[in-house]
Amino acid sequence: MQYWATMVLWIILAALTAAVAAILILPFARATKTASADRAGEVAVYRDQLAELDRDRAQGLINAEDAEYARAEIGRRLLAAAGAGEGKEIAAPKARKYALATTVVTLVPPVVGLCLYLALGNPGLPDQPLEARLANPGNNVALLVAKAERHLAQNPNDGAGWDLLGPIYFRSMRLGDAEMAYRNAIRILGPSPVRLAGLGETLVASNDGIVTEDARSAFEQAVKLDPDNPRSRFYLGLGFEQAGRAAEARAQFETIAKGSPADAPWMQLVNQHIVKNGGTIATGQHTAQAPGNPSQADVAAAANMSQVDRQAMIRGMVDSLAERLKQDPNNLEGWVRLVRSYSVLGDKSGAEEALKSGLKQFPSSGELVALANEMGITVEGVAQ
Amino acid sequence: MIIEIGHYALVLALATALVVSVLPVVGARRGDAAMMALAPTGSLVLFALVAFSFGVLTWAYVVSDFSVANVWENSHSLMPVIYKYSGVWGNHEGSMLLWLLILVFFSTLVAVFGRNLPDTLRANVLAVQAWISTAFLFFILLTSNPFLRLDPAPAEGQDLNPVLQDLGLAVHPPLLYLGYVGFSVCFSFAVAALMEGRIDAAWARWVRPWTLAAWTFLTAGIAMGSYWAYYELGWGGWWFWDPVENASFMPWLAGTALLHSALVMEKREALKIWTVLLAIMTFSLSLLGTFLVRSGVLTSVHSFATDPTRGIFILCILGIFIGGAFVLFAWRAPMLKAGGIFAPISREGALVLNNLILTVATATVLTGTLYPLVLETLTGEKISVGAPFFNMTFGLLMLPLLVAVPFGPVLAWKRGDLLGALQRLYVFAGLALAAGLIFFYIQNGGPVLAIFGLVLGFWGMIGAFADLWYRGNFAKVGLSVGLRRLAGLPRSVFGTAIAHFGLGVTVLGIFAATTFGTETVVEMKQGASVDVGGYSLTYDGLRDAVGPNYTEQRGHFAVSRGGVQVADVWSSKRLYTARRMPTTEAGILTFGLSQLYVSLGDAMESGGMVVRIWWKPFILCIWGGALVMMVGGFVSLSDRRLRVGAPSRKAKPVKATLEAAE
Repeated sequence: MQYWATMVLWIILAALTAAVAAILILPFARATKTASADRAGEVAVYRDQLAELDRDRAQGLINAEDAEYARAEIGRRLLAAAGAGEGKEIAAPKARKYALATTVVTLVPPVVGLCLYLALGNPGLPDQPLEARLANPGNNVALLVAKAERHLAQNPNDGAGWDLLGPIYFRSMRLGDAEMAYRNAIRILGPSPVRLAGLGETLVASNDGIVTEDARSAFEQAVKLDPDNPRSRFYLGLGFEQAGRAAEARAQFETIAKGSPADAPWMQLVNQHIVKNGGTIATGQHTAQAPGNPSQADVAAAANMSQVDRQAMIRGMVDSLAERLKQDPNNLEGWVRLVRSYSVLGDKSGAEEALKSGLKQFPSSGELVALANEMGITVEGVAQ
Repeated sequence: MIIEIGHYALVLALATALVVSVLPVVGARRGDAAMMALAPTGSLVLFALVAFSFGVLTWAYVVSDFSVANVWENSHSLMPVIYKYSGVWGNHEGSMLLWLLILVFFSTLVAVFGRNLPDTLRANVLAVQAWISTAFLFFILLTSNPFLRLDPAPAEGQDLNPVLQDLGLAVHPPLLYLGYVGFSVCFSFAVAALMEGRIDAAWARWVRPWTLAAWTFLTAGIAMGSYWAYYELGWGGWWFWDPVENASFMPWLAGTALLHSALVMEKREALKIWTVLLAIMTFSLSLLGTFLVRSGVLTSVHSFATDPTRGIFILCILGIFIGGAFVLFAWRAPMLKAGGIFAPISREGALVLNNLILTVATATVLTGTLYPLVLETLTGEKISVGAPFFNMTFGLLMLPLLVAVPFGPVLAWKRGDLLGALQRLYVFAGLALAAGLIFFYIQNGGPVLAIFGLVLGFWGMIGAFADLWYRGNFAKVGLSVGLRRLAGLPRSVFGTAIAHFGLGVTVLGIFAATTFGTETVVEMKQGASVDVGGYSLTYDGLRDAVGPNYTEQRGHFAVSRGGVQVADVWSSKRLYTARRMPTTEAGILTFGLSQLYVSLGDAMESGGMVVRIWWKPFILCIWGGALVMMVGGFVSLSDRRLRVGAPSRKAKPVKATLEAAE
């Protein structure tokens, strides 16, 4: 199908080229006439000027003497033009050969056309008018979104449509549109915890992660409607944390932790924030989670930091990991990470220290031994 | 597939332009009819190909084919259809294609209407046109190709710049380009004449209609652009001495000079060299205008093109064409025969004065425009050359010119009588003075200079008819005979009078609007009133509204005079959703020739709005005058003398068959 379309395209392009070359060659095909050094046009102009002079004279716009001078002047031009026209006929070579010219005319269009078009064109790509694409969008999310947008442009009060678009916009980072979609959905269908949380999240994202007043009120409303909504509560906590109100932040995070199953995917993040706000990890989170993994937000923040700040932040995280391992040493992965972190920071003694402590806890761990070998640390009591 | 055919047509156009650039020149050298005949045929083919290509791009815009990168970047499926059409040239690539389309359109006109031209001249003119076409085709295809594709195609476009979503875009660029590019014909005529080494009075007549047409369109284009900026940008001003505005104004000034010097050349064969130089300069300034807007050196209102590589490419085009033309000029001009002589006080003399002032004015504007750019490039220092500089230099230069305008047409050719002309004009001068004083008295107040300006305006308007009055000899022969005498005059005489009248109208508008206008900036709360220009405006609060691709807040104002409500004004702030770009839409109310201009500022914390209100008395005269000038241009263009030597005169029936097949 596509192949045939391309074939047809090439046939049309070839025909077009041939047509252009044929038209350009026409003048040579009829080339039996002579060129006349024809100055008839000029003669006509000067005749007309003489007539105009007469009119001007009749109207008294020019006096008789000047008119005579002007007449003489124009007359001279007229004679010159008429005289030049005669006897200057160029002899007609009866059958002039246009080999070179016709070659140029036949070759330039296809050669220039083909070379440039092959370099610039996109012959395999069909036309894609939007209407046709919308009629048959397939699995193209962008097209489906566009289709929904058109539908909503016609029926701006279709809340379900906005409900659908909000999260899609958010995921494709069209935050302004996401905000509009969530707001419209809330306006038409009324507030719901999901819509409010989505709106709040959009607002946070469009403010570079800051929980603004707008966002906070959305989350608060969501929590009011559904006290068990961990997402809204998390952002509320985050907002308190950003405002430096650690106790209130911790309360929010602890509420989430209390209401969540121990293996909920967000627990790790929540626990970090509890610790960050001066709490201890709640409800027996002793599954082998490695504390001290930076959250996504932390990583994003690190990307924006200066080198010095980034070092300081990493240092802070490593220190807090060390602190936690001291309190809860039963975490092999944590020890491994700590050792690696120290060595990355270039803190050799710290790395040795951590390795020793880890080996004390897990003397038979092959992983730690391998690490020790890798780093060239000899630790007493360990079989090499 | 259609899009690819359009793309290929453009490539093929380049091939055609290359052929037409070379063979006709060779033909003209050798006196070879076939090779010369290639020029008109090739020009028609070129036009057909470019027009097809342009049509395809337009189609892509109308059906929102976002697989075309240019469409995706500058269109949106929900945009009103008219903007989908005008959006084609609302961006760099498309506007260059429009430029090219108009260029080959003019070539076609020369090919079709230039049958009265000598074969060699026509072949050379069309070849020079083809050189320009070739350069621009290379430029478009290699640096600004509107047919580049996207795969996969996006689902929605990025929308047209909201400032450009206006009827102004549909009208202003095409008119302006008709003017800019129209001067290319004069340029080609000049270069062709220099190549042939022969130039005479007939040449001036052949060039005249093209100059006149280009000048007329450029006048309209500039006026339209000025009015568009006035109502769209919401600053209340109508001319900012913005470099881009200057870029269009300089070819206009030079073109006006060319128009007048060609007159002298046609009548007296004098000023030949000067006219050729002006023809080259005018188009050079047009090219420079294109360069200034396109290269990204200037990022003003027209900032839809910013790419330095394109700038370098255009710089090369400028260098080759302007430099080449001047080299050719320097080499060939001394070989041209000098023409007739004339006394300083004569029609020729007056036109020379016109030329002097206009070229000096052009140079002034050029300096004021380029100096800051050059300075910034060399030293990095940013300076702004604004209205004060131009008013002091350009304004002062214009004053004597405006005084002199009515004298020109009443002076005799070759040897004029200034005293006689003064005698003939004093009645008109008196009338103008009286009108200016009356006007001033009615408007009451303003600096003394204003009287001078007003008188100058009326002087232009009334003086424009002095020539007609004396030609009709109404004083002696009475009305009916006088009218009959007028009817016998060539149309160009009326064209001159109308255009000069229009100039006077514009001058009047400029002085009236600047001296009697008022600007009021107030913070208004709902229900508040303010008095401006004898009208009282009451603010009625903001209302939300939704357009096809924008949302807006519309401020409503009720306008009353003497306690009676006379009108409503809506002034709004829009937000274009696709680009999240705000614009202000000024509310403009027209009373006769004057306007009330309301623009919304920022919302205040207290709940009020900052509102700017201008009272612009007689402001419409500024653009109205330009329209009148344009009418004058068309009237003059319809003069049958410009068609002299057309095949219909049957002077040489042989010629007609020669070209029948084209």
